[in-house]
Amino acid sequence: MKRNDSEVVLSITDLCKSFGGILVADNISLELRRGEILGLIGPNGAGKTSLFNLISGVIQSDAGLIKISGTQINGFPLSRRARLGISRTWQHMRLFESMDVIDNMLIAPRIYPGESLLNILLRPIKVKNNDKLLFSQAMSILERMNLKDLAHQRITDISFGQQKLIGLARALMNDGDCLLLDEPMAGVEGQAYETMQNIIHEEAASGKAICIVEHNISFIKDLCNNAIFMSNGKILERGKIDDLLASKTLTELYFGT
Amino acid sequence: MEYIISLLVIISIYVILSVSFNLIIGYAGLMSIAHPIFFAIGAYTTAILSVHYTYSPIVIIIASGAVALIMSTFLSIPSLRISGDYFLITSIGFQLGLLEIIKNIDFLGGASGLGNIPNIIEGSNRNIYFATLTLCLAACSVFFVHWLIGGPYGRAIRAMRDDELAFVTLGRDAIHLKLSIFAIGSGMAGIAGSIFAYFYQYISLDQFELLQSTTILTMVVVGGMGSVWGPVVGAILLVLLPQAISFLHLPQNIMANLQGLIFSLLIILFLFLKPKGLITSEMDRAHEKK
Repeated sequence: MKRNDSEVVLSITDLCKSFGGILVADNISLELRRGEILGLIGPNGAGKTSLFNLISGVIQSDAGLIKISGTQINGFPLSRRARLGISRTWQHMRLFESMDVIDNMLIAPRIYPGESLLNILLRPIKVKNNDKLLFSQAMSILERMNLKDLAHQRITDISFGQQKLIGLARALMNDGDCLLLDEPMAGVEGQAYETMQNIIHEEAASGKAICIVEHNISFIKDLCNNAIFMSNGKILERGKIDDLLASKTLTELYFGT
Repeated sequence: MEYIISLLVIISIYVILSVSFNLIIGYAGLMSIAHPIFFAIGAYTTAILSVHYTYSPIVIIIASGAVALIMSTFLSIPSLRISGDYFLITSIGFQLGLLEIIKNIDFLGGASGLGNIPNIIEGSNRNIYFATLTLCLAACSVFFVHWLIGGPYGRAIRAMRDDELAFVTLGRDAIHLKLSIFAIGSGMAGIAGSIFAYFYQYISLDQFELLQSTTILTMVVVGGMGSVWGPVVGAILLVLLPQAISFLHLPQNIMANLQGLIFSLLIILFLFLKPKGLITSEMDRAHEKK
């Protein structure tokens, strides 16, 4: 299959992390390829979000390797990982609430010359031009989401579903290859649901490697090529979502029945 | 008239101090109260350079800002990795420690201060020229902060204050941002110190003690933290307030302690009754709306 031939973007080998004896990652190994959408499912407390935290650098691993496009990133701080192309969303969005929609996006590209005071003072024209470029990039993402009208609305003034989309839009300002989505659909319905689905499809088609933590199984079914089932920090099974759900042991673990 | 003109100079100096302190504490949320020490570093640099060398005052004013800016990194680089209350404690230690060092070095005038700072504007209109110069510098400071905060750099600072973890996960460098804003705020205080030294031609340590920290902090809190115009209003009000009290003709021993008492009361009252200050910042308006 073409997908299997494509380049590995994220590779994790024997990743371990424990908090005071509780293992949140127990020898996790996985590969995420360009164009792939991988679902990460499992009961609450399985270690799915912790895995995202380990990849994005919110927490550092105890052992094992994490590589992004061949570069080993263990020990790298969060910001450096983002600049290498890992972008993520958060279950609770963590948008910048005092700012409007467009500013939330303009702050998010991999390289942002405006954060350096030297650039601001010595190369103001360059920074201004870069900002204009970022603005048009952000607007085109909003346009794809049909949210162009919200650009100058404050985050606190838009609906929950729209905020979830802006969380994704902000992550898309990073033009890197690896996108981690933490429960993008929680609490999202209607138009926003469809938009979310379409955008994720488009991004995968354009070559991003995407990993999604999600409890909405039908969403995972519609979207993901493959899925991984996690429980107690371990990967128990991997494969097609239908095969995973057909397994009695896994569904018992997941639904507690 | 002379009295009003010298008040204008003092107000302008305090506007520079409070506006620059607001960058550090109001916008970046860095809990430092060591601002007067950078004011002192600027003043002492000017005093030493102008007494011992014949550089142009413009060079000396810029050098004073630069020395304060560089010295600020001695506090910020080791301590910005820790945050909040710990930074506050380090900043107090830094200020008291440096004041103690200055007190014990003869070259810096020790406890009796440094005088004989040359007069850079001669003639009968000296104070008018000084007032014009300091007013211009104060206006420049306000517009500089307005410009800085309104652009891409200000966007980064607001985002960092809103949610630092989300901010660094986007690839932004919070430490670098904090270092730079601390440095620029301290550099501005250094320039204010330079003007202060040139205007009074004499500086002594008691002008840079913790009481000065309280004064500048009160200006920012009362005026409105994190708003461009708040500290300006705060500086004007709190320079004028002690002057107004002096018209009450209270006995000298009461007057001396009254200012500290009133400023402390003001901070407590404002923190309880109007924590956003007289002028509410854009950021706070957004949160209130929520």
